[in-house]
Amino acid sequence: MPAVKVENLEKDYGKVKALKGISFEINEGEIFGLIGPNGAGKSTTLKILSTLLAPTGGRAEIFGHDVVKEAPRIRELISYLPEEAGAYKNLTGREYLEFMAKLYAKNERDATKMIKLGVKLSGLRDRLDDKVSTYSKGMTRKLLLARALMVKPKLAILDEPASGLDIINAYTIRKTIREFARNEGVTFLLSSHNMLEVEFLCHRVALIDSGRIIDIGTPRELKERYDAENLEEVFMRAVGAGGGHYE
Amino acid sequence: MSDFWIMAKKEMKNLIRDKKLLFGLIIVPLVLYPAMGKLMQVGLEKAQGETHVAIANFDDGEYGMVLVKTLQNAPNVTVTLINASSVEKALESAAKKNQNVLVVIPRNFSESIRENKPATVELYGIFRSTSTGMKESVSEGRINAVIAVLSEQIARIKIQKLGVTSPDALLHPVRAESMSYLKNKIIPISPSVVSGVLASQSITLPIIVFLMVTITAQMAAGAIAAEKENKTLETLLTLPVKRTTIVASKITGTALMGLIAALAYMIGMRSYLGSLGVQSGISLSDLGLQITPEGMVLFALVIFLTIIFSLSLAMILAIFAQDVQSANTVVSSVILPLAFPAFILMYTGLGELPVEIRYALLADPFTHPIAAYQYMFSGNYTGMLTSIAYLAVLAALTLYTTARIFSTEKVLTAKIGWGRKS
Repeated sequence: MPAVKVENLEKDYGKVKALKGISFEINEGEIFGLIGPNGAGKSTTLKILSTLLAPTGGRAEIFGHDVVKEAPRIRELISYLPEEAGAYKNLTGREYLEFMAKLYAKNERDATKMIKLGVKLSGLRDRLDDKVSTYSKGMTRKLLLARALMVKPKLAILDEPASGLDIINAYTIRKTIREFARNEGVTFLLSSHNMLEVEFLCHRVALIDSGRIIDIGTPRELKERYDAENLEEVFMRAVGAGGGHYE
Repeated sequence: MSDFWIMAKKEMKNLIRDKKLLFGLIIVPLVLYPAMGKLMQVGLEKAQGETHVAIANFDDGEYGMVLVKTLQNAPNVTVTLINASSVEKALESAAKKNQNVLVVIPRNFSESIRENKPATVELYGIFRSTSTGMKESVSEGRINAVIAVLSEQIARIKIQKLGVTSPDALLHPVRAESMSYLKNKIIPISPSVVSGVLASQSITLPIIVFLMVTITAQMAAGAIAAEKENKTLETLLTLPVKRTTIVASKITGTALMGLIAALAYMIGMRSYLGSLGVQSGISLSDLGLQITPEGMVLFALVIFLTIIFSLSLAMILAIFAQDVQSANTVVSSVILPLAFPAFILMYTGLGELPVEIRYALLADPFTHPIAAYQYMFSGNYTGMLTSIAYLAVLAALTLYTTARIFSTEKVLTAKIGWGRKS
């Protein structure tokens, strides 16, 4: 059984068609990346799989459960990190992790384990006892990623996990994701418009543009298929955009 | 701990730590209102303290001296005699001596009384600054009272000289004894005192209900809008918690905070109003208006249902706002016009209104707490039960709508453009 199965998924926002019938599958334990430009439909796909939006057409399953009909069950299996996310400003980082852990854990012992892992994953140390309102963007993102991963979901859905961060913070976040995936065997679905990030993290990627999936494969397969040096070139060739040329 | 309590606790923690909320909802009513009241009281007490009166006596007859002596013997009055050639000079001298009032007894004072003509006394309030002048008015009142007693005394002497044995019957041929008739009972208290006691009750409650409803509504709307503004809503909606639990915990958290705030306002307002009003020393139970435990339970139920209705309505409205500020605007523009008509009941009872207006008012849920308050004293339990049934239906409908919206994507996608195209 695939971890994620998406069939002809469509989403309309009024007259705008954000998704025009996309299909893909993700295997258990895989890190799968959705790459494409802004407005391609990446976030919409992730929001449908996270039960936030309802599809206009098609269907999607996570570990055999329908995302619309079995939304409450899906929420027990996933952990979602939105692209633009914040934490409760009047709580401390530790209180935020405790609050989340208590909602996921079945008992006090599990909650303690989750918090311990969250503290480690965040890397915020003493700053965890400060209010979230005093955190920088990078610190908040680390706290949110720790929150998403500490519950050890069956599927982690991360929307642009390192978007807008400086090199050091972005590198730390990518490293955390890669190590966590390797150690815990969690399935990941992440979106990004940073091709280097995707190449660094993902086992397989889907190229998405204007609500359609153009191609799917491992980074190596795609580079060979399009005779390209990196995923950036793969994407440009796949969408048939040469762009300007200067020599 | 259940998901519900974990979330409600977080909600309260988040609200309690909000410095702006804490200041506006708890510090202001608990500290500033009583402080304002205390300041007013201090002013009043100072004014009611010793009155300094200057007297310029231009009369050389016996009655002028009688007036001076009467004032000298009056309690809380210190008299300073001023020798001056004219009223202007006397005023200058009185002002220099920090006097509040100058009493001028004119030259012909005794003569007028002897000739059975009305005699005049001139009173000058002396203002040393442009502040309210409470002290001057209190002093004037005190002197007027002294002069009224003196007038009556002089009249009594004159009437006795005419050979009348009971001057009181001639001075006051008709005396009124005021009593009130309330709830089929005669109460030996004047109607003005009874209506004063009733009015103070009927003004305080609508204000408290109004504050409670608007404060809790704003807080509930703020709690939802803050989730959008701080980008925590999407995460919240993907947690393994029922959407109805999220709604219920937000309502409970804000309702508890709202009740604390309402209590703070109630204490603050009571202390403020208490320091202003002259205590009549008469309670509602003296007027035979007893509250039974049943009445109190029904009244509490009416208040509870009104708050639930107002909170869930505010949450629905907040879903359409993108940030806390626009949520407050949209909630104020809907809740305030709804809560305002209930103020009519500060001046009249529901039963005294024309039928159309009465039913129009009863359609407004915010009228019911005040109507129920009147019902509670009159023992009209049918009226209270009708209110409870109506509010329960309305609260259930709005709660259901809120929970429905929360279980769809509208909670994320709905928004009001405010005339702008996004």
